[in-house]
Amino acid sequence: MKLYEKNAAELSAMLQKKECSAVELTQDVLERIEEKESAVGAYVTRCEDCLDRAKAVDDARAAGKELHPLAGIPIGIKDNISTKGIRTTCSSKMLGNYVPPFDATVMQPVREAGMVITGKMNMDEFAMGSSTETSYFHTTHNPHNLECVPGGSSGGSAAAVAAGEAILTLGSDTGGSIRQPASLCGVVGLKPTYGSVSRYGLVAFASSLDQIGPFGKSVKDVALLQSLIQGHDNMDATSAYRTYTNLYDNLNGNVQGLRIGVPKEYFGEGIDAEVKTAVHAAIQLLEQNGATVKEISLPSTEYAINTYYIIASAEASSNLARFDGVKYGFRAENYDGLTDMYEKTRSEGFGDEVKRRIMLGTFVLSSGFYDAYYKKAKLVQRRIGQEFAAAFQDCDVILTPTAPSAAFKIGENIGDPLKMYYSDVCTVTVNIAGLPAVSVPCGKSASGLPLGMQLIGNKFAEQTILNAAYGYEQLVGGFHAIAETL
Amino acid sequence: MKDYEIVVGLEVHAELNTKSKIYCNCRNAFGLEVNTQVCPVCMGMPGTLPTLNEKVVEYAIKMGHAMHCQINGVCKQDRKNYFYPDLPKAYQISQAEVPLCGKGYLDVMVDGQMKRIGVTRIHIEEDAGKLLHDESFSGSLVDLNRCGVPLIEIVSEPDIRSSAEAKAYLETIKSILQYLNISDCKMQEGSIRCDVNVSVREKGATEFGTRCEMKNVNSFSAAVRGIEYEAKRQIEILEAGGTIAQETRRWDDVKGMSIVMRSKEDAQDYRYFPEPDLLTIVVPEEKIQALKESIPELPNVKLQRYVFDFGLSQTDATLIAEDISRSKMFDACVALGTCKPKSISNWILADIAKYTNETGKSIEETALTPEHLTSLIEQVEKGVISNASAKKVFAVIVKEDKDPLAIIEEKGMKQNSDTGFLEQLAKDVLAQNEKSVTDYKNGKTNALGYLVGQCMKASKGKANPGIVKEIVTKMLNA
Amino acid sequence: MKIDIAHIAKLSRLHIEPEKMDKFEKDMAAIVDMVDRLPDVEDELTLDAEHPMKLREDVAVEHKFRREEMLANAPVVQSGCLVVPKTVE
Repeated sequence: MKLYEKNAAELSAMLQKKECSAVELTQDVLERIEEKESAVGAYVTRCEDCLDRAKAVDDARAAGKELHPLAGIPIGIKDNISTKGIRTTCSSKMLGNYVPPFDATVMQPVREAGMVITGKMNMDEFAMGSSTETSYFHTTHNPHNLECVPGGSSGGSAAAVAAGEAILTLGSDTGGSIRQPASLCGVVGLKPTYGSVSRYGLVAFASSLDQIGPFGKSVKDVALLQSLIQGHDNMDATSAYRTYTNLYDNLNGNVQGLRIGVPKEYFGEGIDAEVKTAVHAAIQLLEQNGATVKEISLPSTEYAINTYYIIASAEASSNLARFDGVKYGFRAENYDGLTDMYEKTRSEGFGDEVKRRIMLGTFVLSSGFYDAYYKKAKLVQRRIGQEFAAAFQDCDVILTPTAPSAAFKIGENIGDPLKMYYSDVCTVTVNIAGLPAVSVPCGKSASGLPLGMQLIGNKFAEQTILNAAYGYEQLVGGFHAIAETL
Repeated sequence: MKDYEIVVGLEVHAELNTKSKIYCNCRNAFGLEVNTQVCPVCMGMPGTLPTLNEKVVEYAIKMGHAMHCQINGVCKQDRKNYFYPDLPKAYQISQAEVPLCGKGYLDVMVDGQMKRIGVTRIHIEEDAGKLLHDESFSGSLVDLNRCGVPLIEIVSEPDIRSSAEAKAYLETIKSILQYLNISDCKMQEGSIRCDVNVSVREKGATEFGTRCEMKNVNSFSAAVRGIEYEAKRQIEILEAGGTIAQETRRWDDVKGMSIVMRSKEDAQDYRYFPEPDLLTIVVPEEKIQALKESIPELPNVKLQRYVFDFGLSQTDATLIAEDISRSKMFDACVALGTCKPKSISNWILADIAKYTNETGKSIEETALTPEHLTSLIEQVEKGVISNASAKKVFAVIVKEDKDPLAIIEEKGMKQNSDTGFLEQLAKDVLAQNEKSVTDYKNGKTNALGYLVGQCMKASKGKANPGIVKEIVTKMLNA
Repeated sequence: MKIDIAHIAKLSRLHIEPEKMDKFEKDMAAIVDMVDRLPDVEDELTLDAEHPMKLREDVAVEHKFRREEMLANAPVVQSGCLVVPKTVE
């Protein structure tokens, strides 16, 4: 077994026991990138100094320094997370040459732990999309079937893990952007509770919904990385001030007595039959091993997509207004006066999907429409949150499909925004309610593509959902996340 | 011409003198080299987030208390969206629906009368950067140092009825901001600015006329000129049978006129919505109370007391009330109750003001104490020493901690006010100056001054000149 | 529902090319129709006082960033300033 095929947790143990070096591991991943990147296209920018960083870790270990368990593990960073000195494009022409003078808060522990940053991962432009096709640079291909999308918006992050082009990656999730690509690429992806990971330095799409989270091949991997990045941050006023415990250390796969809620609204007609079958099989397996299963109802789910697109687009229209060609990023070449400069810069710098969302957001906030759209959506948001809170009175986790289908073909949905938006139908409620949720692989489709299921927890119940996910992982004998056909 | 009434509402923006900016820890400083007081947050770099400065909240609440506002201990911030090069995020973080301070009022003095002006709200927000223009250059330059400097916006009700009332209102606000030490109020640095809403209506009308908003009013005198110009312009339109168009106008103080910026139809749609990067501001009731208790008696309240209780003129009372050092000295002296408030006011505005002006010292930096000052004034009021002697004593006690009574004793400054002694003295002087006495009786009244002077000379300057004059006059007219 | 694309584009400082206008209008109408379907919730939005915001202490930090660093990404810079087309005063 090649090193890139191994889980971060295994590699961490090997590095600590000096069974391999960080340089060897990094070299192995770099070779894999050389071999597969042209087919997969997971990266926007690659870091040149990986081996230097890996060597520094090996030197420190040789000198007997105490190192973090993740020291020397290669990690890819979604390209909307600001990295000091490393181009951060959000896969947009608008930020094609933008190099942040500061690091996102999450980068501090990543760097301090001695993780080896391999590069910046492709994504849908400004995280708006579910297929990574809206990237200005290139489309990322699903490692399990190169004709298919990897999902999105964190498609590069998910694909890299499935392709072995990175051991761990960071993504961001506003409406499913970690979980849906994790599901489509057959890897594990965690969307943490809103406020548990600092958003400082994450280029904002929808501030009240965005959250950074980890991708890995196993639940342990995701627990390791989440334990590293979680915590309160003085630079983010929405960051939750509380005690964070190490999720990896407390991981146990015990599902005995676990109360699972299965909301009927997540198994409706829009969900492919093979997805339902796979998720029901998983539920059955958990039940056979001591979990109790209860059907529940979350009636406002039918309004979730509408609510989500109103709130997310409203915030996006404001968050993306700063891209005006004055302080950083792209500026149109020919213009006549200030307004023309703004309009040309923004029209040439943004892709169509970003423009649609900005326009929708501007519309729902505009004079005369605010109450009918934005205010109404905020009221529905509160109701969705209340329904979840009530459901968690009687269950520990809520189990649903992650995506309505397996990966679709590249180009299949890109011309139809509504069809694309429907990809988020199972995931947006979690962001609307600010909850944590993890997507884990859950069988294969008829065509051999990965399927995924989502475990949703109460606020700050990351440990509960990761324990349940870990239990499931053990019951199925591990996830085998690396795409074998690649 | 019909009789018209001017109706004015003011929006005052005051920069707060906190150490750091409102949403980041950059220095809040004026006049430094362009773009040196900026960081990723105030420059609106992608991914950056605001964190609210606690002092901004405290200062705004203090101002709210000073203006008798209802304080909203639970409130939020909103985004005001518009594109302009001095606004890096393309939105200003401000407060829309729920301001930190709600309804209140301010009492101001206009021509010796009190006038109550309603306050609609006070909210916190961030300032924008500056655009620099230069004829030699085809573009504009952007300096972002001022981005994120904390502001409070004080919105008044349309209760102001003249430019004089507007001026009194603005000056009262300025003196309160300085009293609370929450703003530098330097007009030339733009740390206090206002927008003026003006409308006119026929006297006695109950409905308001159509208003125009005037921007770019950068001084209080400009506000006065702007209001007068705008009222005249509107009255002229109405007299000519026209109607007022609701519009935003820009005041050009050099040309002394306002010009249209945009009409109502072009009104900006700011698309306000709650700032998702910040949580609810929650100020505990105890803290709101503690801030209230920390507020000293304010200059507008002192002014009322000085005019109505002590009979000072509005001018003198204002000069004392609006200066913290002066009013402190004045209040301490009055509290001792040994001399007339009017005499204390005279000393503060004459000799003390002269000394502090000449030396550049504040009253606190002099050796003067309320006890010494009142004791000196008392001696003058009682006629124990002359005004000329008092000035000599003052010259000492302003520099050193010395009892004025001891100085008077030491220098033998006490006047002789013994009527019996002075009558004998006057009798002798008159006897020796028969010619002058005859002159006086023949109508040359200036002979009186000469005779009093001779009495003073005979007493070696010790005689109380007031009493001597009284005695001599009585004797001459006997 | 048909929305005034030209007005919304102007507010957003976006310019939609004429040849793309038809598709844009169609897509936007479909999206607005989708989000339009929301229930009437008989309630008012309230502020969340349960989660008060931690405020920042008023301490200034000197020269965290150099000007060159802050302006390094700017499209046009002159005399230490960002440059924009002349703003009409």
